[in-house]
Amino acid sequence: MGGRVSRTLAVAANAFRETVRERVLYNLVFFAILMTLSGLLLGQLSVRQDEKILKDLGLAAMDLFGTLIAVFIGTGLVSKEIERRSLYPLLAKPLSRGEFFLGKFAGLAFTLLVNLAVMLVGLLLTLLLTHRRPDPGLLAAVYPIFLGLLLTVAFAMLFSTLTSSTLAIVLTVGVVVVGRYADVIRGMRDVAPDVPPALVSALFAIVPNFSNFDFKARVAYGDAVPAGLLGDVTLYAALWLVLALGLGLASFRARDFQ
Amino acid sequence: MRRLGSGLVLALAAALLPTSQARIDSVAGRYRAQEEVLYLWSGDQVKRLVPGFESLAADVYWLRTVQYFGGQRLFAPDKRFELLRPLIEITTTLDPRMEIAYRYGAIFLSESPPLGAGRPREGIEVLEQGARAQPASWRLRQDLGFFHFVFLNDAEAAAKVLVEASQIPGAAFWLRPMAADLLAKGGDRESSRRMWRQMFEQAEEGIIRENARVRLQILDSLDLRDGVAAAVAEFERRHGRRPAQLAELVTDGVWSGALVDAGGVRFSYDPGTGRVSISEQSPMWRPK
Repeated sequence: MGGRVSRTLAVAANAFRETVRERVLYNLVFFAILMTLSGLLLGQLSVRQDEKILKDLGLAAMDLFGTLIAVFIGTGLVSKEIERRSLYPLLAKPLSRGEFFLGKFAGLAFTLLVNLAVMLVGLLLTLLLTHRRPDPGLLAAVYPIFLGLLLTVAFAMLFSTLTSSTLAIVLTVGVVVVGRYADVIRGMRDVAPDVPPALVSALFAIVPNFSNFDFKARVAYGDAVPAGLLGDVTLYAALWLVLALGLGLASFRARDFQ
Repeated sequence: MRRLGSGLVLALAAALLPTSQARIDSVAGRYRAQEEVLYLWSGDQVKRLVPGFESLAADVYWLRTVQYFGGQRLFAPDKRFELLRPLIEITTTLDPRMEIAYRYGAIFLSESPPLGAGRPREGIEVLEQGARAQPASWRLRQDLGFFHFVFLNDAEAAAKVLVEASQIPGAAFWLRPMAADLLAKGGDRESSRRMWRQMFEQAEEGIIRENARVRLQILDSLDLRDGVAAAVAEFERRHGRRPAQLAELVTDGVWSGALVDAGGVRFSYDPGTGRVSISEQSPMWRPK
């Protein structure tokens, strides 16, 4: 058991180093510039909305950049190893496909966590340096963003085991976009009453509802997010993660690399 | 040699850029960016395009609203403010909780040209939308009451809305007495002054406070104008003729103060009718 965990962690550490080498964290430089310029300019332009806009901008950047990293790196995590043929010697070692797959997931998850943490610190610093209160309540929006990013990585890895990396990118973006419209699917009956309710329910059920992870507006207005709600969202994310990673792992195990 | 040539081309291109920009500006006008176009007219359309980023999109539209308003006010020759209402509506549809967009938007729409769009009914509609979207906000209802009174001279509607505002938890204590005052006096200048003073004292620095300050100065100017008009009448009673110029009031001793409004601009005077008014050149002037 201990050996399994340590092997998985070794793959994770390697995946983290690999993603950092791919200059993923360069987005932090862009984020720093964005925050600095916003902090300097918004006070002049926004008519008393500068603090709210800074928070909106910071949280939206975390969500957007994180999603881009999750999609583009996530789809390449496994497929690149296959294309470069570096997977074969790895699997020849005493390393199971499950350990490899979950290790890769954990590595990118850690990269995203570091990315979000640095961005959050950057946002809090910008608030502090522009004489506004560095609001620790922002964590209540950042945590669900992280859960959404984990889910995005899981889907990216699932699709990358099923198809080419280009198609995997398209499919993952599709799931994320449709998932953000999940509430629209749920309300479809109001605008298209002829659509069979079972179809609407089925559509709603097969798409992860990414709007569940969106607390940005609430938090930017300083509203508290109940811990119970965050717990429910965590459970929802965990269930989808089990499904997506489970399917991805099954598909990866079933692949013939001969 | 080749590298030097490339460097020279780059340097030349960089050096010519400002001249090129200046040429474009001289033909198209420096502030052509103010000729705004709105590609999407509905907040719902914009909302569909940015799932998960509605709040940020609302911020962008709010910044655009402020820039558009400022641009029209300062640079547009005809000051039509035609995109103002749709921009405010898109902003508030994307973020129905953005109280400032309702409050400032209503001022932008209601103030008379050239300071605003001169469409107070639309300003009131925006505040009504805000009051519906945020039933717990007494400030939006307070503004709605003020606007009914100040811009539409409807003391009854104003009083009704102020009473509603006073019933919201946390509302200011003076809303109910002010409503009673409005109903009793039917909306005299003193009621108006009390309203603007409350607005001035509550508001933080910014457009709302500045607007209230100017409104109070306008009321002071109207008081001054009434005083000068009374002095003209007194002069006519004493001499059997109207003064040829307002300066005669001072030399005759019927008026001892300055003959300027709170903005420092001389009052207009028509010796034919004896009518004293705030000059159209004054920042205190507002159309009837």
